[in-house]
Amino acid sequence: MDHLDALENQSIYIFREAFRKFKDLAMLWSIGKDSTTLLWLARKAFFGRVPFPLVHIDTNFKHPRMIAYRDRMAREWGVDLIVGRNEEALCAGMEPAKGRFQCCNALKTQGLQQILEKHGFKGVFLGIRRDEEGSRAKERVFSPRDKNFEWKYKDQPPELWDQFNTSFGPETHVRIHPLLSWTELDVWEYIRREQVPVCDLYFARDGKRYRSLGCVPCNSPIESKAGSIAEIVEELKVTKTPERAGRAQDHEAAYMMQKLRSLGYM
Amino acid sequence: MDVNDTLRIVIVGHVDHGKSTLIGRLFYDTGSLPEERYREIEKTCREQGREFEFAYLMDALEEEREHNITIDTAQTFFRTAKRPYVIIDAPGHKEFLKNMITGAAAADAAILLVDGAEGVQEQTRRHAYILSLLGLPQVTVAVNKLDLVGYRRERFREIEEEIRRFLGSVGIVPSYIVPLSAREGDNIATKSSRMPWYDGPTLLSALDSFSPAREATGLPLRFPVQDVYVWGGKRIYAGRVESGTVRPGDRVAFSPTGKFSLVSTVEKWNRPDCPQASAGECVGITLEDELFLERGEVMGARENVPAAAREVSASIFWLGNAPLRLNQRYVLKLATSESEVTLSAIPERINSSTLEIIERHADRVENLEVANVTFTLHRPMAVDTFEENQRLGRFVVAEDAFVAGGGIVREVWSDTVGAQARVIRLDVRLMTEPDGNFVDLSREAGPIEFDLSPGFLDRLEGGEKVAIRLRTADQLETLARLAFGHRMGFEFRREGEGGKVVLFRERPVRLPAAEETGPVI
Repeated sequence: MDHLDALENQSIYIFREAFRKFKDLAMLWSIGKDSTTLLWLARKAFFGRVPFPLVHIDTNFKHPRMIAYRDRMAREWGVDLIVGRNEEALCAGMEPAKGRFQCCNALKTQGLQQILEKHGFKGVFLGIRRDEEGSRAKERVFSPRDKNFEWKYKDQPPELWDQFNTSFGPETHVRIHPLLSWTELDVWEYIRREQVPVCDLYFARDGKRYRSLGCVPCNSPIESKAGSIAEIVEELKVTKTPERAGRAQDHEAAYMMQKLRSLGYM
Repeated sequence: MDVNDTLRIVIVGHVDHGKSTLIGRLFYDTGSLPEERYREIEKTCREQGREFEFAYLMDALEEEREHNITIDTAQTFFRTAKRPYVIIDAPGHKEFLKNMITGAAAADAAILLVDGAEGVQEQTRRHAYILSLLGLPQVTVAVNKLDLVGYRRERFREIEEEIRRFLGSVGIVPSYIVPLSAREGDNIATKSSRMPWYDGPTLLSALDSFSPAREATGLPLRFPVQDVYVWGGKRIYAGRVESGTVRPGDRVAFSPTGKFSLVSTVEKWNRPDCPQASAGECVGITLEDELFLERGEVMGARENVPAAAREVSASIFWLGNAPLRLNQRYVLKLATSESEVTLSAIPERINSSTLEIIERHADRVENLEVANVTFTLHRPMAVDTFEENQRLGRFVVAEDAFVAGGGIVREVWSDTVGAQARVIRLDVRLMTEPDGNFVDLSREAGPIEFDLSPGFLDRLEGGEKVAIRLRTADQLETLARLAFGHRMGFEFRREGEGGKVVLFRERPVRLPAAEETGPVI
């Protein structure tokens, strides 16, 4: 069993554990490579079917090619897709110019909150990884959010030997992180091995590509010649630039990501 | 073996002995620190008017940086020429032991860090003890901050001796003990010229010598049922092969129910006619017979399934804020099964740092203590001892639905011994007081059988004795056979209507050559 097999099996185990323990499950699909890998793993875990709906939080600032890719894959794989938008905030004209913290919090965090409430989801799969940024490195696989959506990162229960905490208060929802132990390179090596179809914004055009997909105004492409999955894998093996370098919200102020995430950001 | 397989390393030790600094150094010296991460840390440090602090790499939370401590475990990644590594940083503060355990339970190997100036401290010992309870066999000791003691060989030798002695007492043999300075970069990636007296490996070569925790392919098959899916006309038992290998056609049985069948197929997505599944693989199993098994059943080969335990004795660590209490109910979760249990005995309560026995026959276990305990299971559960099979021999204890402790199974008692005769258990619980080792059989009218635990024999070996009050000569005979079979010494005295027997472990006794006639039993 090689490294990717070990990661894959670990993720499948987590999926099945969550599916067993929670009734109202959904999976957050951001259209990026991580949550698409997550979707692939869900199909493996459940022998080809995805026994819960997918949720995409649309901020209205996503690249049109992301939306086109989303709709095509949803059709092809026959998944149940729910698109959520914080209409109230969008109508009030929320945009990054009003402050990135405010914008992320309104369009993403609150957008997610609305969808979870509307559908009564108790467990949500997310494709976050520990190597993405510091506060994610501290996450547990099963991570509860209280009724105010807050993450109590200062006092997390122990998690060992795949015995996850799966009983929480009635007003809590649980984030489930099957990809927590994967690295960016693992994800791309897995995509290459499994031939998972990913959004074409990741591949270089005119010397630039997106390393991480987000909202158009707050996400810039990196200099790159990597036009294929194999070239991306090679690029990542030598790069010294972090994955989220192009994501403006990470660099706005010290601890901004921790603060966003303690309020329920993904 | 795939040499490129990632190795997961946990770094443990006392607070302020330099864990986070060591991690920063490992990153820096292997060229694994992204420039932008470096600049971000530099910027944060500058904004707060501090010198550059490697620890910021792992200590990402604001509170951690403010107070210069690690609160929660974190993971990050670097690579050497040999392979990639995941580094798990575990907090050294006593209050965050649960986070340390969360980190260490996920590791293949450990670095136990000791401050060369301060030497072995409370958490050094506690963490080492926890590593042994987690079953982590690959340990390297890093004696840090030798720059503060002038790189003196004598100081290193002192600490080396002290730590070796302590580790020995918890059953850990360190692979290497490396003298180093994380701040100065001595003996991390390159050999230090400042310690010419040291001829062992650098820390990185020590790490490169470890291997990822092997899947338990060589052990007997254990497949705990995780869930049951009835899809597409098939009843699929989903689960992970914890040890061994399973193939279509295998004759299998289940514990605790004792049901049995033949494996029909091994199911994987997009893999028709899957020939087998081995340890570590999450698959589905279909059977020839419709058995209606539930989650928690464990499949093994027909002639080798785990015991259906009714009672287990275990070594546990307790992390709950409220004490673990005798005669209270808890939930024990082991592999995919769980059962309500009653904590029926606490033979020994142990200080997890000094290893001192705080109390025998205790009625509670406090936060951060370790104990030897017995749980009575309210329904049978498939259990192996930790020694036989780590995967089926370790568990967590939940209180109010939250994991509050964990442990490893030392002995298993099942219902299957002796159908008619009443089973008298001779185990370590009887022997927790030096002179209180007493079993009363004077009310047992029917036939009896003894169920003897290895721990019991060990205690006799250590010089303890057990007194047994008897009712009948039949009991005397059964006891005598037990003593004969296990080389125990045996003293009998008639007392009132019955009798009394004292058992002890026979030591080699030289009889005078003339007296050939020993006691007849």
